[in-house]
Amino acid sequence: MNEQEIKKLWQSASEKWEESLIISKQNQKDISSIQVYNLLASMKPIKIFTLLVGILWVGIGGIVLTNIFLFAFEDANKFFLFSAGIQVALTAIGIIIYLYQLIAIYQIDITEPILQTQKRIAKLKSSTLWVTRILILQLPVWTTFWWNDSMFQSWELWQWFIVLIFTVSFTFTSLWLFFNIKFENREKEWFKLIFNGKEWTPLMQSLELLEQIEEYTHPDKTDTQPVSHS
Amino acid sequence: MDKEEQRQFFQDTIERNKGILLKVARAYCPNNEDRQDLLQEIMIQIWQSIHKYDDQYKMSTWLYRISLNVAISFYRKNTTRIKNITQYNEQFVLITDEEITENEQNLNFLEQFISELRELEKALMLLYLEDKSHTDIAEILGISVSNVGTKIGRIKEKLKTRFSQIKS
Repeated sequence: MNEQEIKKLWQSASEKWEESLIISKQNQKDISSIQVYNLLASMKPIKIFTLLVGILWVGIGGIVLTNIFLFAFEDANKFFLFSAGIQVALTAIGIIIYLYQLIAIYQIDITEPILQTQKRIAKLKSSTLWVTRILILQLPVWTTFWWNDSMFQSWELWQWFIVLIFTVSFTFTSLWLFFNIKFENREKEWFKLIFNGKEWTPLMQSLELLEQIEEYTHPDKTDTQPVSHS
Repeated sequence: MDKEEQRQFFQDTIERNKGILLKVARAYCPNNEDRQDLLQEIMIQIWQSIHKYDDQYKMSTWLYRISLNVAISFYRKNTTRIKNITQYNEQFVLITDEEITENEQNLNFLEQFISELRELEKALMLLYLEDKSHTDIAEILGISVSNVGTKIGRIKEKLKTRFSQIKS
């Protein structure tokens, strides 16, 4: 079949499909009575719940820690104070990025050209990687918040050895993941292992779509160079 | 436009351009149930965007942008289901090979070919089959006219190879 024959075939089929499609007036009326989307209404309850818990955690944690810093710093356990401070600060950054994503996705204009809109959506979705990277940085402080001064005076070497194994390995793992969780590594086995599962599917698909978009916007670049989106 | 005028405009737009919506839905959802959902979603998004319509654009360009944007996002949610249906279609084509006319067979192959394309290629293929000019395609997709030419050249090559494979 040549080009013209293929187009003719498609167009005659299209005419038949169009004739057979009846969109009921009632359906159109129902759609035109839908109000403009509400951001909260479009979110899944579990996400709203997680977000609220996160905000509460950061809010209460922030108030408690600020009070300790201001009024009881001398008496406070510094390991707890700084570990908890880092944890709450990183969670706050994660929540801010998440909120930014939600609002930005909600504001996307789907009447714009396909590549612009899809690139914006895919980039926002893939910025979930940033939230993950930042939250992973919390790992080491979960191993240090319970440390105290008496440990330095009374602990044996073997006790330190066990504790430090955890702290050092958690620090190494979190830093390694922080620097390596990025678009360029999406094909690696460890990356697929971490981001395997239904929850991560939109993220992985966004990364794949970004790759396609790159082929359209920089057709010469994609054959030779990797792209950076992390 | 007041609310009532918007409603009337929406209903006229859908009625006059339902072919665009249907073709996009067919290209992205081979499964009938998903297609109904996608059509519904496209219409909702057209309604939600009706106040943004700017008559400096062709109506068809505006509708293709919305329909394709919705289809690409919607399609991603249903990839797994669509993959299964595609496999089923392949079997279907093989079984009924001798019973259908050559035209129907070619149309099946064409739809099969479209279903195997990636999201952006699907959009391009659809616009190419609709005989849209390179300028219109560039405006809908948001790429340069010369880039449209290159991409269409590649897709035509793919289509040609595929058809010759089928025929042989």
